[in-house]
Amino acid sequence: MFANTTAVAARVLRQLRRDRRFVAISLAMPVLIVYMLSLFFEGVESPIVDPNKFVLPIGAFIVHFITYALCAIVLVRERTGQTLGRMFINGYRQIEIIGGYLIAYSLLSTMQSLIVLVGLEALFQLGYSLGVYAAIYAVIWLLAVLSIALGMFVSNFARNEGQVFPMIPLVIMISVFFSGMILPIDRLPEIIQWMRFITPMYYGTEGIQALIKTGSTLSDALPGIVGLLVYGVVLLVLATATLREED
Amino acid sequence: MGCACKQTPSSQAGRSARQVNMNPAVTVTELHKRYGAIHALDGLSLEIERGQIFGLLGANGAGKTTLIKSLIGLTRPNSGTIQVLDLDPQAQKHALRRQIGYMPQTPVLYDDLTAWENLLFWGRAHPIPNIQQRVSEVLAFTGLADRQHDPVYTFSGGMKQRLSLGCALVHQPVLLLLDEPTTGVDPKLRETFWAHFREMTDAGATIILSTHQMDEAVYCDRLAVMRGGQVLACDTPPALLRRGRTTVKVWNGAEHQTEQIADYAAELPRLLSRYHLDPSVSRIEVEHEPLEKVVLDLIASQEVNHVR
Repeated sequence: MFANTTAVAARVLRQLRRDRRFVAISLAMPVLIVYMLSLFFEGVESPIVDPNKFVLPIGAFIVHFITYALCAIVLVRERTGQTLGRMFINGYRQIEIIGGYLIAYSLLSTMQSLIVLVGLEALFQLGYSLGVYAAIYAVIWLLAVLSIALGMFVSNFARNEGQVFPMIPLVIMISVFFSGMILPIDRLPEIIQWMRFITPMYYGTEGIQALIKTGSTLSDALPGIVGLLVYGVVLLVLATATLREED
Repeated sequence: MGCACKQTPSSQAGRSARQVNMNPAVTVTELHKRYGAIHALDGLSLEIERGQIFGLLGANGAGKTTLIKSLIGLTRPNSGTIQVLDLDPQAQKHALRRQIGYMPQTPVLYDDLTAWENLLFWGRAHPIPNIQQRVSEVLAFTGLADRQHDPVYTFSGGMKQRLSLGCALVHQPVLLLLDEPTTGVDPKLRETFWAHFREMTDAGATIILSTHQMDEAVYCDRLAVMRGGQVLACDTPPALLRRGRTTVKVWNGAEHQTEQIADYAAELPRLLSRYHLDPSVSRIEVEHEPLEKVVLDLIASQEVNHVR
């Protein structure tokens, strides 16, 4: 099984290596968005808004959004190109295909997460310790990997690119408004407080906000990290189970 | 209800000596598949012996592709039973897929990868002892060795077709299913393909292919003529050809008489006996209807029956 997973991962990485424009855009866009974010917060400086509370969750959201949208489209393209069906006939199984994509795109997400974090520190001079940065990086990276699985899961319900596009803003809307990224969860209506658990951004935001509080320790981020891990496992199981091979 | 297509024991006897497994490669019984109002397979029954090249003939929409997809478990029939290599394509799909190769109608490849990388990827799903060597062999056989490191998007339609075939047989499957494999392939390479198919069946593999090309259909061991999701006729190409009419022109000096007979094997000797081998008979021309005409007439006659 592992040999087939690595075969899928190697093939996807080969394709990424060939499509340098795609890789360049995937890495350049987060940088551009972070820069535009800095321009925005220059205009609404403290005391109206404290940028330090928002920029890291927003940075995590940028990685989440790009990774999720890219993976949703890439996998549905495999379906419309019929290569997905041919993989099944050739003996590749659902778990191997999902696993292969996860490994290959994790490498891209690793770079994206790093670029976003470095960009935020350079533009906002957040000044956290190396240990806090390492923990924040772990949270953003976990969120990014989980977003790959989310993209693949969502794409399983679409037969073509046209069907997957409307699903992208739906997930993003839930991520932005139900995660506590903009407003504290306890100030939101009760129904949204329950719905926060369905977006991975909630666990990412929880983890990051716990880490950036003054006097916090790494253990404060554990609930968020555990939440991301559990969410990731559940999502992988769902993505694997719903990956159809029949017409 | 579809026409059952089963072989007599005597037709299997010639091959039985070298076949260890005597069960048919494929047994399909009363297969139905509907896409909304369209009945793609309409009670189709079929039996395909191991170690032969079996051709599926029919117009677009006859159900050939749906049948092939059902055999590999890519389409779930509404009713009926299927056994492929003694396995159920739905319940035992993983065991089955280790033994089959499939070439879809349109080439399904990664255009941004090279020919070599495509073959390697599709082959790596199977336990091939020396995959690098096998990939080289397939590249040579498909005539793509010179272009092995070029991305597929630079290939012509025919080259993609050849590579797609290579991907289907890189792991040397026991059963090869080919959906119009030689479309867009030049005649010389087509000949190479058929020689390779014959080598594979001589080694015990079974090949099922759909085709529109009547000139190649005659290379098959058996043919099933399909229409409306049913098998209209299933026989060897010579037996199907015998269903057509034969025109016989008997030349006597500058004049000739034209006669038409149905079963030339039975009727030709009787016809010629009427001429008592007259020394003035200078030439006899015998012209069989081509397979295409036989198949089209067969389909047309079934349509007439259907309307009645």
